[in-house]
Amino acid sequence: MASFEPVLLRNRGVEGSTTLKVYESRGGYQAVRKALKQTPDEIVAEVKKANLRGRGGAGFPAGVKWGFLPKDRKKTLLCVNGDESEPPTFCNRVLMENDPHQLIEGTIIAAYAVQAQTVYIYLRGEFHEQFHILQKAVDQAYAAGYLGKKVFGSDFSIEMYLHRGAGAYVCGEETGLIESLEGKRGWPRIKPPFPAIEGAFRLPTVVNNVETLSCVPHIIERGADWFTGIGPAHSAGPKLFCVSGPVKNPGCYEGAMDFTVRDLIEREDLGGGMMDGKHIKAVFPGGCSMGVLSADELDMKLDFDDPRNFGLLGLGTAAAVVIPHDMDMRIVLRNMARFYGTESCGQCTQCREGTAWMHKIATRIAADAGRPEDLDILLETARNMGMMPGLSICGLPDGATFPIETIVKKFRSELDESILAQPRGRAEDLLKVLN
Amino acid sequence: MAKIIIDNQEIECRDGVSALQAAVEAGWDVPHYCYHPGLSVVASCRLCLMEMKMPHPQTKEMGWAPKLMPSCQTPVREGMEIRFNTDKVKTNQENCMEFFLLNHPLDCPVCDQAGECHLQDYSYKFGKAESRMVDQKLKTPKKDIGPRTLLYSDRCVMCTRCVRFTDEISGSHELTLVNRGSRLEIDVFPGLPLDNPMQGNVVDICPVGCLLDKDFLFKRRVWELKRGESVCPGCARGCSISIDHVDEKVYRLKPRFNPEVNDWWMCDEGRFGYDYIHDKKRISSPLVRRGLEQTTPNWEDVPAVLRYRFEQFVSEQGGAKVVAVLSPFMANEEAWLLAKFIRDVAPEASLAMGPVPYEGEDQSFPAKASGDDVKFTILKEKAPNRKGIESLLESLGGSVLTYEQFIEKTGAGDITAAWVVGGYPKPWVEKDVAKIASKFELLVAQDIFENEFTAKADIVLPACAWAEREGSFTNADGLTQPFQWAIVPPDGARRDGQYLFEIAGETGLFSAARVREMMAKTVPNLSKVHESPARPVHAH
Repeated sequence: MASFEPVLLRNRGVEGSTTLKVYESRGGYQAVRKALKQTPDEIVAEVKKANLRGRGGAGFPAGVKWGFLPKDRKKTLLCVNGDESEPPTFCNRVLMENDPHQLIEGTIIAAYAVQAQTVYIYLRGEFHEQFHILQKAVDQAYAAGYLGKKVFGSDFSIEMYLHRGAGAYVCGEETGLIESLEGKRGWPRIKPPFPAIEGAFRLPTVVNNVETLSCVPHIIERGADWFTGIGPAHSAGPKLFCVSGPVKNPGCYEGAMDFTVRDLIEREDLGGGMMDGKHIKAVFPGGCSMGVLSADELDMKLDFDDPRNFGLLGLGTAAAVVIPHDMDMRIVLRNMARFYGTESCGQCTQCREGTAWMHKIATRIAADAGRPEDLDILLETARNMGMMPGLSICGLPDGATFPIETIVKKFRSELDESILAQPRGRAEDLLKVLN
Repeated sequence: MAKIIIDNQEIECRDGVSALQAAVEAGWDVPHYCYHPGLSVVASCRLCLMEMKMPHPQTKEMGWAPKLMPSCQTPVREGMEIRFNTDKVKTNQENCMEFFLLNHPLDCPVCDQAGECHLQDYSYKFGKAESRMVDQKLKTPKKDIGPRTLLYSDRCVMCTRCVRFTDEISGSHELTLVNRGSRLEIDVFPGLPLDNPMQGNVVDICPVGCLLDKDFLFKRRVWELKRGESVCPGCARGCSISIDHVDEKVYRLKPRFNPEVNDWWMCDEGRFGYDYIHDKKRISSPLVRRGLEQTTPNWEDVPAVLRYRFEQFVSEQGGAKVVAVLSPFMANEEAWLLAKFIRDVAPEASLAMGPVPYEGEDQSFPAKASGDDVKFTILKEKAPNRKGIESLLESLGGSVLTYEQFIEKTGAGDITAAWVVGGYPKPWVEKDVAKIASKFELLVAQDIFENEFTAKADIVLPACAWAEREGSFTNADGLTQPFQWAIVPPDGARRDGQYLFEIAGETGLFSAARVREMMAKTVPNLSKVHESPARPVHAH
């Protein structure tokens, strides 16, 4: 397989890649100059034609999202979702750390396309370093006249603000992000109204992921046909993949969406195979929320559609975490349950109580005090919490139940064995103490 | 009126309401916690989910949507088709009830809400008998969040009604949410207790036993209480309330839905202002003074004694020296009966109205709101029926005095016989007024508590608190609202309406409705009363 010529990550590893000078010397800020000569509708049409699907997890086409804005709007906001809080995911972080100007350029083009004069880049609270890098880049862009009044000598003005959250998973959901941006509790909003009609500060708002917007300059520069030429038709364009766990080369890689999970782990130019003495037991291929694959399902294609065939929620963030053969699945189960138990915002009943309950059961199972029926209760709770189509305001319970359900279903025999191998009476003893 | 189909039944509903509201008004029992018609919609309890027919996104063909929709958030549309009687909906309700009870302490035997708790009701109706959770329950603390309210956060179902109330109605923003997920708690900000003039409502709208009223705490089980429909006498606003009582004792007052006046709310001043009803110092029996001699007459003799005394006075000194001072705490019917008696014995007698107490300024909520944004108002005029009495005086005509003229004329000796009605919960006779109390040759004082008038009166009649009377009050907006008696007067006393009825020359039992019929000729505008809608337009 021919090695992929990186597009999004082309400036990674170049010295001074975060500076405006280096970025421009490598062809930066040409796309935006080209874009500003076109009409906004032409840009929207081009992005629609490129079928740029959102990289944040849901895979919703960005051009279509922009098309939802009401025609007679007076003011529009653009929010850049840099919350990136899906557990093993770090592609936005790599983009912001290595190539902040690419994001800024993409954002200016997107803002021009939707005629948004105000842009908020929402960053996760924990992104300290990334915030400073991005802020420096924004300051440079302002100084160069690329942001502010009448950018690049055109009539278009744009103000860009960085906003740091306080670190909550649910603020990555677009309406949760908007609430947090407004200074409120990051509770997802009830829809309708959708953000395109009434979003942040009651204005029409577009929320796009960092990686999605980073693709935009390249689409404008090289055309939609170039973009759709990469990868399969339904999942076009370059995509960042993260791989972590006991692989030889963990990290963030760029490629077309045309290879499998096995490739991501094994290929020399990607994960580079497992560390010595480790075998694959399971893989979470798209961030934890999408669910788990067992070792014999590694031929799943990493594109937007194939994961559904393997009982997963979707591609998600395409960040794979590999579970080695010597890891107890009960520990994995507990870890997953704990994350969603602490990250549920607490608004909807099913999610608030269900995630906490699953965490309690998983903790008990991991502490050698599981009961055989606990696994059924876990499955039933997951179902009761409303897996696709959801019962709650946002999609968090879907993400919370898929890993639990897939772990229990796909590793049922191992979990059952572990429970049977527990010291006798331990579950009963523990429950006596608890109640 | 929109026509919609619920569970294959076509019903008519008001335009613009939510599907939940329409279903509840049409008689469906749809469980819900977070929805309250007076507050914004958050759709977070997910208990009211329904199935709805929607056009298919591609084929545009109508079919049942795969996703359950929150009925509280979905407005009704003409021809909409929804259903609640399916397995999918019922399973969700059952699961939700299991989730609600996971960390609930199940301490109903010591919970004030037990008996009117929607966690109990819904668990019986929609829930499961047993919980499958064997692990330790999460314990969240009991908190003292304000001078009148406690918060037992372990019983909370996170409907956030109370938070929305302080944000949207009282506008005081004291309550907030802390923590995340199942550790979420309602709390106040450090050092800022829940203390606003409307805070008692948060206890009413709490669907479970999380917010508790310190005034009512552990006093009675709610199923023992009887409920009387009444009108709050606290200010001229006249909020519709119910009086919860048992064993002739009032335990608490609750607001009653009335879209014309108070919606779902009442203020703390009215809510906790009933203590004086059970004051031991109340006058409880009639008294007749003759020189130094004091006797307690039989109630049967009172009408004759009064009529004889007044007739004697009029024949000696003439009717122009007689006045009846009506109180703004009297019901219209009582005032009319008294006026009828006085004009009967002395057609040229004057009528006057006692002082109207004012305190501070009008307060509207949320603070700084104006126009339609005002959700509730507490008036500075602290009497329930000034407007009614004024209207009565105007309709009856004849000689009408102001309270000041009454004092002046009495001081000048132009008035020497008076029937002064009090009934104020607080002391009301001012010092300079007290001096005239000894200037009467015939003084009848009708009051709840002893004061300068009752001390000098020839005849003292016990007045009753509003909870013991029936009649109607006309509020500041001119709305005449009826109220029923809830408890009987203290031993020895009789309802004002009853003895005034007899004194006015009628026989039999006093009934406010009957008196209103009698009033129809002379005072037509007070003879019609406004009944608030009998059926509540929300479930809870």
